[in-house]
Amino acid sequence: MTRFLSAVGLIALLAGATASAHHSFAAEFDDQKPVKVTGTITKVEWQNPHIWFYVDVKNADGTVTNWAFSGGAPGQLMRRGITKEALKIGAEVVVEGFRAKDASNNGFGQRVTYPDGRNVFTAAPPNQQ
Amino acid sequence: MTKQLLVTLGVVAVCAIGLTAQQQKGDVRTAKPINQSDLPQQLRPEAKIVKGYVPPKTAWGDPQIAGAYTNSDESGIPFERPAEFDGKKQADVTTEQLAKIVKQRQDQTVERTPGLSEFPGATSPLHWFENYRAANSRAWLVTDDTDGKVPPTLPEAEARNADRQRQRRARGAADGPEDRSLYDRCITRGIPGSMMPAIYGNSYQILQGPGYVAIKYEMVNETRIIPLGPAAHVSGKIREYLGDARGHFEGSTLVVETTNFTDKTAYRGSSENLKLVEHFKPIGPNTVEWSVTFDDPHTWAKPWTFAMNLTKVPDEQGPFEYACNEGNYGLHNILTAARAEEAEIKAAAAKGIVKAPSAQDPDEGEK
Repeated sequence: MTRFLSAVGLIALLAGATASAHHSFAAEFDDQKPVKVTGTITKVEWQNPHIWFYVDVKNADGTVTNWAFSGGAPGQLMRRGITKEALKIGAEVVVEGFRAKDASNNGFGQRVTYPDGRNVFTAAPPNQQ
Repeated sequence: MTKQLLVTLGVVAVCAIGLTAQQQKGDVRTAKPINQSDLPQQLRPEAKIVKGYVPPKTAWGDPQIAGAYTNSDESGIPFERPAEFDGKKQADVTTEQLAKIVKQRQDQTVERTPGLSEFPGATSPLHWFENYRAANSRAWLVTDDTDGKVPPTLPEAEARNADRQRQRRARGAADGPEDRSLYDRCITRGIPGSMMPAIYGNSYQILQGPGYVAIKYEMVNETRIIPLGPAAHVSGKIREYLGDARGHFEGSTLVVETTNFTDKTAYRGSSENLKLVEHFKPIGPNTVEWSVTFDDPHTWAKPWTFAMNLTKVPDEQGPFEYACNEGNYGLHNILTAARAEEAEIKAAAAKGIVKAPSAQDPDEGEK
């Protein structure tokens, strides 16, 4: 599979002569280690520079692993009308993303959906709704 | 309403181009049909440029430029004049030529970035991008009409910057927090870095009071205080990340001269002796042209200038709080990733396998 462009490369293209997004995806996450889990939200840290949310995932052997996923910045999400309420403690979500390079249970939560397929992080800015 | 519809249709069309490009590569990650509700909406006011525009005055008589602004639409403009405009000045570019090149840039952005998607397998969520389909105000940024280029850096500057690089490369890209950029560390993007558009966080609040102008930059949560008037700069012994700014009005234009930079915030290889002169010129009821002149005889043989537009947005779309250090786990994770990689390299070496470290640029974000 074609190696994905890292956030850095992407930003260089979009922003041209300008500065990039905040942290390098490639320095923190491994684009060769995709991860997909289904679990229950246990904690939400709606804070800068990236939100983090935590998901309890039941393993095949009956144990539970608490995964931590990184998302966008609160302001960036709020401009699209997405508030902290989008991630409710106890809600079941499917998280697809990439695992941290340090092999911890941290990851980049690229796509987050509810079990019915609705995307958690999609909304128009409030004044377009 | 019509504009919103057009923008939405445009985004759909552009994403369809991206989908086709990925399918041609045999990549089925985006096989799921595009759901219009998954696509980001854009809401940016159009610049209103009025020839000879004179802004109203504040209660104390200064030209009024206060407000919330964005320059997301200036993303992707090259600094230097594209070859297709050789011999032309900025003013020679017709509306049709600009529209054509802007459309090309928007299309190319999508075609070149198969990772840009809301769909599984992509590393860059589309909903992060506030500067998607940027409607650039100009074809290039440098305003010097002689050649439309940034002047070459002087040998003195090249030697200085090569030495700086050598010192950085003597250590790993993430041996410790100090090896990462000031941006990674939530300290600053410097000046003019703090006002260069990125994928998000391109909101600025200009505030005015008697004797002062302040500019709040969303990314990375900095406020720059600009005293107005003839007061001298602080002592040359004092060096600041954002420099020492002094402002005054020339007609309706706010002119800000900034000196006393540090060598830690070098922009395009500038030295700490850089004198930066910015002009904030109101060119319409919701538009300010921001031009930046670099005067640094230790780096460039002659001063040079670039310019872009800042467009007013409703106050509720002004800077959001960006308390960057509040949850900067990213810095920690970058360091633990580097330690994990070192362990992998060591384990491989024990088996006689040479594993190269991944290439990383600790200075990213400072360019």
